Amino acid sequence: MIAPDKAAPAAPTRAARFSAAGRATFDLTLRLGGLAVAIVLVGLVFQSFNDAFLNTDVIISILRSMSSVAIMGLGLTLVIVIGEIDLSVGAMYGLAANSLAVIWILGGVPVQFAIPLVLLIAVAVGIFNGVLTTVLRIPSFIVTLGSYNLLYGLSLYVTHAGTFNPNYPPEGYTVEPSQLNFFVDLTMQFGTHQFSVEVFWMLGLVLVVGFLLHRSLFGFRLIAIGGNPVAAQLARLPVRRYKIMAFILSAVIASIAGILDFSFIQTSQPDLGLSQTFPVFAAVIIGGASLAGGKGTAIGTLGGALLLAELQIGLALLSPGPHAQQIFLGAVTIGAVALDLGLTRLRARRAA
Amino acid sequence: MTAAARMEIRGLRKSYGNTRALDGLDLDLAPGEVLGIAGPNGAGKSTLVRILAGEERQDAGELHVQGKAFALADAARMVAVVHQEPQLFPNLTVAENLLVGREGVRMLRPATPASDRALMAALGLGPYIARPLAACTLAVQQRTEIARALARDARVFLFDEPNSALTDEESDELFREIHKLADAGNIVILVTHRLGDLVEHTDRVVVVRDGRIAAELRGEGLTEEAIAKMLVLTEHRAAPDAARIARETRQHSALLRVSGWTHRHRAFANVALHAMRGEILALMGVEGSGARELLRSFAGVETADGEIAIADATGRAAIGRLTAYVPATRQFSLYSNLSVGENVLVRLGRPDIADAFGTLRPKRMRSLAADIVRRFQVKTRTLTQGIRSLSGGNQQKVAIAQALAFRPRLLLLEEPTRGVDIGARREIYRLLADFAADGNAVVMYCTEVPEMFEAADRVIVISDGRLSAPLTVVDHPHVEALATEVTRLERHGRAG
Repeated sequence: MIAPDKAAPAAPTRAARFSAAGRATFDLTLRLGGLAVAIVLVGLVFQSFNDAFLNTDVIISILRSMSSVAIMGLGLTLVIVIGEIDLSVGAMYGLAANSLAVIWILGGVPVQFAIPLVLLIAVAVGIFNGVLTTVLRIPSFIVTLGSYNLLYGLSLYVTHAGTFNPNYPPEGYTVEPSQLNFFVDLTMQFGTHQFSVEVFWMLGLVLVVGFLLHRSLFGFRLIAIGGNPVAAQLARLPVRRYKIMAFILSAVIASIAGILDFSFIQTSQPDLGLSQTFPVFAAVIIGGASLAGGKGTAIGTLGGALLLAELQIGLALLSPGPHAQQIFLGAVTIGAVALDLGLTRLRARRAA
Repeated sequence: MTAAARMEIRGLRKSYGNTRALDGLDLDLAPGEVLGIAGPNGAGKSTLVRILAGEERQDAGELHVQGKAFALADAARMVAVVHQEPQLFPNLTVAENLLVGREGVRMLRPATPASDRALMAALGLGPYIARPLAACTLAVQQRTEIARALARDARVFLFDEPNSALTDEESDELFREIHKLADAGNIVILVTHRLGDLVEHTDRVVVVRDGRIAAELRGEGLTEEAIAKMLVLTEHRAAPDAARIARETRQHSALLRVSGWTHRHRAFANVALHAMRGEILALMGVEGSGARELLRSFAGVETADGEIAIADATGRAAIGRLTAYVPATRQFSLYSNLSVGENVLVRLGRPDIADAFGTLRPKRMRSLAADIVRRFQVKTRTLTQGIRSLSGGNQQKVAIAQALAFRPRLLLLEEPTRGVDIGARREIYRLLADFAADGNAVVMYCTEVPEMFEAADRVIVISDGRLSAPLTVVDHPHVEALATEVTRLERHGRAG
């Protein structure tokens, strides 16, 4: 101590006792709670229209059909949290399924090796997106809009615009039954209600991404960089490396979704996944992530995907026509964000 | 058109929360005169500018032009503010910039009227008429801003630190325009930190302090020394105490050594400098002097070449491992999406807040954050509340605590107590002194003499990229003495 005449450090006071709960926790609880309430309410509304809605079969089919959007959404959440955009997730999903079909069925590479090869392609795509965004400083919206089309083009090229089904390989090619079984078992269905293992893949990935985002140093810095990239740069956080990592994870997770859906549906088409692009964004946004960066949770994205799948299947059962699904998708996306902003402003005004 | 309109300001008051920015300010503005406004940061200068420009409304008090009340709508038309950074449309040409807001009601794209052409020619903008503003120099952009104001018949011209980024020739040219505006019967106000410009180019200088006019200088009384003295006569400043003098006379070894240090864009060249262990060194200089760039180059934020050694490391490794930098605006150091606790920990990594596998250690983070918050006396109710819920002074403490948590040997600060109330300021200075006393060093960029007087051990004055010989603060018995010396060195540097 060099300043003996100055006031001694204040004795620990009431202010020095820190409670665990605070505003940040409260915000999150409110958002996730709101999402849970919305999911239950929508379920009850559908039930009131159609007694058959809330039964095990429907619930299982909702869980299965939400899984690919949810998985892609988890990867996209990482990119959105760091303050970037990845429009190429849907196209990556398609390229993963298509290149797996080509490498495995046409190339004859055993599926157990073909899958890691596909994941390597995804890593390359992630590096491509990440490096163009961070090193050449092209806005990620532009980069991934480009790679969306590039990847779709690649899918068309490698498949010669054809479709593949491992059960019915093209003439002159064979698929070993053991490999086919391994592949189909990735999304094996069991039990009387045909519960698919794909749901467990989804839950497992929620745990992995949730851990990354909320319990690891990687996620802590991801959120910080997304919240204030300039400050992160000035504080010498590894901004560039983390952004590239986020794009790699997004592409890899999207390919996992593509591989799993290919295993479940067992048919690949060149344009697979393209139409999923915007539903994936919607799920992430409904889940509470902010396109401005710095905000987003794994569990929120899961909830967003669940709400969308619920609406989709519920409306399909009511069969008012395909227009209703689209209209609801749009309304729910805008409504969720509007509600969120409204509540935030209301509380800011109260606090002031 | 009222060619010569006087403006009277009476009892102007404005508060932000608990902070009183203007406290009953009275001021008369006469046409044909260049009025200088000086004042320390946070004295109410910028609030006055914002109210005059119509960007904000006063809480109380009146503005009269020629005896008539002056409304916000008048401000938009009558008052022109020429900013340090012109606020124009960079994607439009110079001529188009003049037209924005006065396009008229015709459906066709408006053409440049002859009067605009004459106006631009008079301001020397002729060659640039069709050039996109983004491709013009700052000086041309500022003249465009003047032209834009003249085109809409503005009567009051407010220049807010206009020449901080201009070359000497550009700056001379700007002042010629400023005098022309005054001679044409406009009210012209110059707000600047450059005392030389105030003396040379204004008829009268008022010093704003604590939200009112504290002094008015004109004629013989208008000298740099007189303004400097008025600027530092704020509240009582702690004189260097025995402990600080003892610190000064103790044997030190250098912690930071720099030689042949040259900025990539030549904001400074061939700088040699050192900072001792235990020392707080202030770099003083107005905007554009190179002082800020010099500080930022030690943090690796600005690129410079030359030799740098910190403790036992050299070059980029030393900068990366041993320095921590706190920018002037908290906007660039704090994360609004993170809590108070997360904000103080954000620069840390393994093994402080995460294990070898990168898993966060929440318990350790909580205790570490609680410890830091307590040590740096951040007044917060919880660790998990948003950073925005803290007062400005406490946010600044979080910004400094965040940098110190990184355990640097050399702490680099820009204007560390800007917008911070007096109580928090004292605490911040004490934190810096404690940090230095552990055998580290602090280098800070300052624009205000009282700050250096209270916090620094040595001061280096920088003007036009040249460094003065260091001043030892304890050699100066009171803040005015230091201010006089700093002013002398600054003028000397400009002349040399």
